[in-house]
Amino acid sequence: MHRSFEIIGKVMTVAAGIGYALLALGPSLSLFVSVISRKPFLILTLLSSTLVWLVSLIVLSGLWRPFLPLKANVWWPYTLLVLSSVCFQEALRFLFWKLYMRLEDVLDSFADRISRPRLFLTDKLQIALAGGLGHGVAHAVFFCLSLLTPAFAIIALAFVTIHTFSMVIAFEGYAKGNKVDQVIVPVIHLSAGMLTLVNFASEGCVIGVPLLYLVASLTLLHCGKMVWQRLIESRNQSGPTLR
Amino acid sequence: MDRNQQRPRSSILDSLGEELIGILTPVSICMFTVVLLVCLLNSDPSSSSFSSIATAAYSETDSDSPWDKLLGAFLNSLVFVAAITVATFLLVLLFYLRCVTFLKLYMGFSALVVLANLGGEISILLIDRFRFPIDSLTFSILLFNFSVVGVFAVFMSRFSILITQGYLVVIGVLVAYFFTMLPEWTTWVLLVALALYDLAAVLLPVGPLRLLVEMAISRDEDIPALVYEARPVIRDDSRLVQRRVWREQRSNVNDDDVENNVVRAEEEEEQRSEEISVPLIDSSSSSSSRPETFLEGIGLGASGAIKLGLGDFIFYSVLVGRAAMYDLMTVYACYLAIIAGLGVTLMLLSVYQKALPALPVSIMLGVVFYFLARLFLEVFVVQCSSNLVMF
Repeated sequence: MHRSFEIIGKVMTVAAGIGYALLALGPSLSLFVSVISRKPFLILTLLSSTLVWLVSLIVLSGLWRPFLPLKANVWWPYTLLVLSSVCFQEALRFLFWKLYMRLEDVLDSFADRISRPRLFLTDKLQIALAGGLGHGVAHAVFFCLSLLTPAFAIIALAFVTIHTFSMVIAFEGYAKGNKVDQVIVPVIHLSAGMLTLVNFASEGCVIGVPLLYLVASLTLLHCGKMVWQRLIESRNQSGPTLR
Repeated sequence: MDRNQQRPRSSILDSLGEELIGILTPVSICMFTVVLLVCLLNSDPSSSSFSSIATAAYSETDSDSPWDKLLGAFLNSLVFVAAITVATFLLVLLFYLRCVTFLKLYMGFSALVVLANLGGEISILLIDRFRFPIDSLTFSILLFNFSVVGVFAVFMSRFSILITQGYLVVIGVLVAYFFTMLPEWTTWVLLVALALYDLAAVLLPVGPLRLLVEMAISRDEDIPALVYEARPVIRDDSRLVQRRVWREQRSNVNDDDVENNVVRAEEEEEQRSEEISVPLIDSSSSSSSRPETFLEGIGLGASGAIKLGLGDFIFYSVLVGRAAMYDLMTVYACYLAIIAGLGVTLMLLSVYQKALPALPVSIMLGVVFYFLARLFLEVFVVQCSSNLVMF
């Protein structure tokens, strides 16, 4: 009945399916439950972010539809595919950030009106995290949900991590005008996309997947370092009496 | 120095948008349950001969040409929408003649039928699927208890709000699951037809639902309808199936006495909670009109009970259930589209502040996304995934 199962051509048990889905989305789920579900606004951000990236994927599929299906075992059209998709998504990320700046202004003026404090740094970081998580979830569901196998799940996990945290880096980079952060996000995205092309070679995924995880851990480290620096900065700025 | 001992002030992010989530959660639960049921009980579509008024004009078979199917689906939808219109006008007539008790009894009866009959059928299907060992006596006792409690929950107003909400969601799930068993073309054309009907019935001056709302407001009564309320309200309620969204307005500029009665009952409720309630500030500025900010316009700033008719739950879930019969990718796309449509409808509700149809925007977006996903996304994702290319 399900097209996805037809394509794989094997009978999959429910337990295995849930297992693979959790493999890809487990960390996101725990992130969701611990951070995002506490604040309703973050859930709304997550949903809108997922919607935006789903629309981006639909637009990309629409653009590439006349050229598909591509010939098998020829890898250079896929390079074009990845390149164009990454460029489009990075441009969209910038637009997303612009929209978020507008929303931040609205929220700040609303907070002033009802005499509440303005958005804290942690709030802004959390909104960026929710946006990134939306991106990651959209990606995982798109690439992984139809064809639940261990390979996809493992690769999807790496990508979810990359997307979640590069959104945080990107938002901070655009906000502070930090060139390093601004450039590193598209670079990471592009290199991750290109690394999956390595899977074309036979036994390529043995090299490709560990490298992908290397990129993911680099993203995590960079994001963690950046957030730590910002928090220390803001604490020093506001002085020891507050927070 | 004293500021050290002050507790840190909470950010606005803590409680902004709470009521939106309050209505999104049950809608999501309903859709998720229907998708689960469809996946678990995915029987062969042609084998289940589900005949209802929606297939009265034409029953689809696999061998017909697309044009025949389209025509047949169109006829089916016409019959169904006509039946619904007649029933709604009958409801308006009864409400006009103040036969409210009869309406309440009828709604209790229909809740009983749905829970006992449809609930029983689905439970039997599930028991059959999972080979659950249970005997008929236990089953009938459990079903009886379940249905009776359900009838009381939707019938009486002073029931625990959580149980009432749960039972309303269960009724929505049961009816939606049975609607997904309609033939495919009929389902899609029916959904679009119902969206258009909803638009007409609520917005046109001669529409039955608009008449109903106006009568209810002018008499300061509540419409007897099965309505899901996202917040507990200490008032007398009675319910029926309805298909629109409206919100009790925290109106500080409204001079209508009727509205003020309604709003007052909620303000007591509000002041107990700690969430951001703009009216706490507004009560000081009396009745001077102030320009609404963008956040209140999109419904995140104000607080008030959002009500969604059960028919909306049902048809959202029918759309998602039908998408589930194709692939999980389409479920994902349709779910996001419906949520986006609901968000847009709630935004419009805050702007226009009158009863609005909740079906059209969501159903239209859902249908568009379903076909986009089916035509474009699937090929793309198969291409990429079969070669382990991702970005």
